[in-house]
Amino acid sequence: MLPYSDTKPVGAADFYFAINATFRFIRETLGAEALIVYWRGLGREYMAPVSQQWKEGGLPAVAEYWRAFFAAEPGAGVEVTLGYEDSLQRLGTDEGTPAKPSKVVLDVHTCPAIHHMRANGRTIDPGFCQHCYYVSAAAGEAAGLTVRVEGGNGSCRQIFFARDAAEKPQIMEHIKEAS
Amino acid sequence: MIGCYDFCGHYEWTFEWLRRQGGEDLVRKYWEQAIGGDSQTHAARLIKENGFEGMAEYWTHTLAEEAAGYVATAASDVFRIDMHECPSKGFLLSNGLEQYHDYCDHCMGWIGPVMKEAGFHVNHEHNHCGKCWWEFRKTADQSAGSSVGTLSGASDVRLDAEWASHEAPKDVFEGATSPLERKRITK
Repeated sequence: MLPYSDTKPVGAADFYFAINATFRFIRETLGAEALIVYWRGLGREYMAPVSQQWKEGGLPAVAEYWRAFFAAEPGAGVEVTLGYEDSLQRLGTDEGTPAKPSKVVLDVHTCPAIHHMRANGRTIDPGFCQHCYYVSAAAGEAAGLTVRVEGGNGSCRQIFFARDAAEKPQIMEHIKEAS
Repeated sequence: MIGCYDFCGHYEWTFEWLRRQGGEDLVRKYWEQAIGGDSQTHAARLIKENGFEGMAEYWTHTLAEEAAGYVATAASDVFRIDMHECPSKGFLLSNGLEQYHDYCDHCMGWIGPVMKEAGFHVNHEHNHCGKCWWEFRKTADQSAGSSVGTLSGASDVRLDAEWASHEAPKDVFEGATSPLERKRITK
């Protein structure tokens, strides 16, 4: 569930213009490193209530959050799936222990922000898609989680999992420039 | 991803982040350049090209999308908005979000420069509790803001019982195009 509620069921899509303009302004005014600091700050501070939900509810809470999140983003086409390492985990053990997921996969078929900006002829900041990694990774820290992002520029895959299961860091080249 | 559903929450958080980086000057520069000069270019273009009709077109679209409780009044020499339920400030109030000291300043922060560029100025007042009114006139027209009820009748937000009852200070702008032209009125 979302930590904030509004009177309308979905957000106003034109706000994506402002998100994009904010990233561009910070990079052009304060530099690329400052933009990363900003994104991490959003994840750690602004999204602290989300981090708390993830800490308390684990990966099922992560899946629940993203389902609610994309349901409120106009034009989003996203599948959210809880992933299991093997069939034993999916079915639970013989003793009836509940199955424990090992990851949450977001298959973003249509990114609502990129879609809306393109439809309105906006110049999309090339680093736009990187914010998904930096913000989510920072939000996951307090919950012991991290994320890997692959793709971008309109569609991508994001995988959330336990930080201690991370074998390699995020490779930024795996996130496409937006255009 | 950060989204548009709770946009006002992270937008407001951003004001305070920017203030910590570069003070109030940087926040105002952000409103003018990033919001007025980049995000809201569609508004700027409509207002510059079509004047009062452009204002009506822009705000009809955007305030419907944001589900605002407002009344717009158009006349030959002025465009007025009475905002009874600001969706933006309302979101912050209902969710208990406050990082920056004066969220309402952001409107004059981007609208003021856009109006100046398009040849208009602003009479405006807000109560920091989700209610405000705006009157846009051509720069050469030095008329003061209208008296209560004369332009928008019973829809004038100043007739709203909550307008007078709030203890929060009101900020007043007269013929302004910048948040620096604010006059603060406290009870």
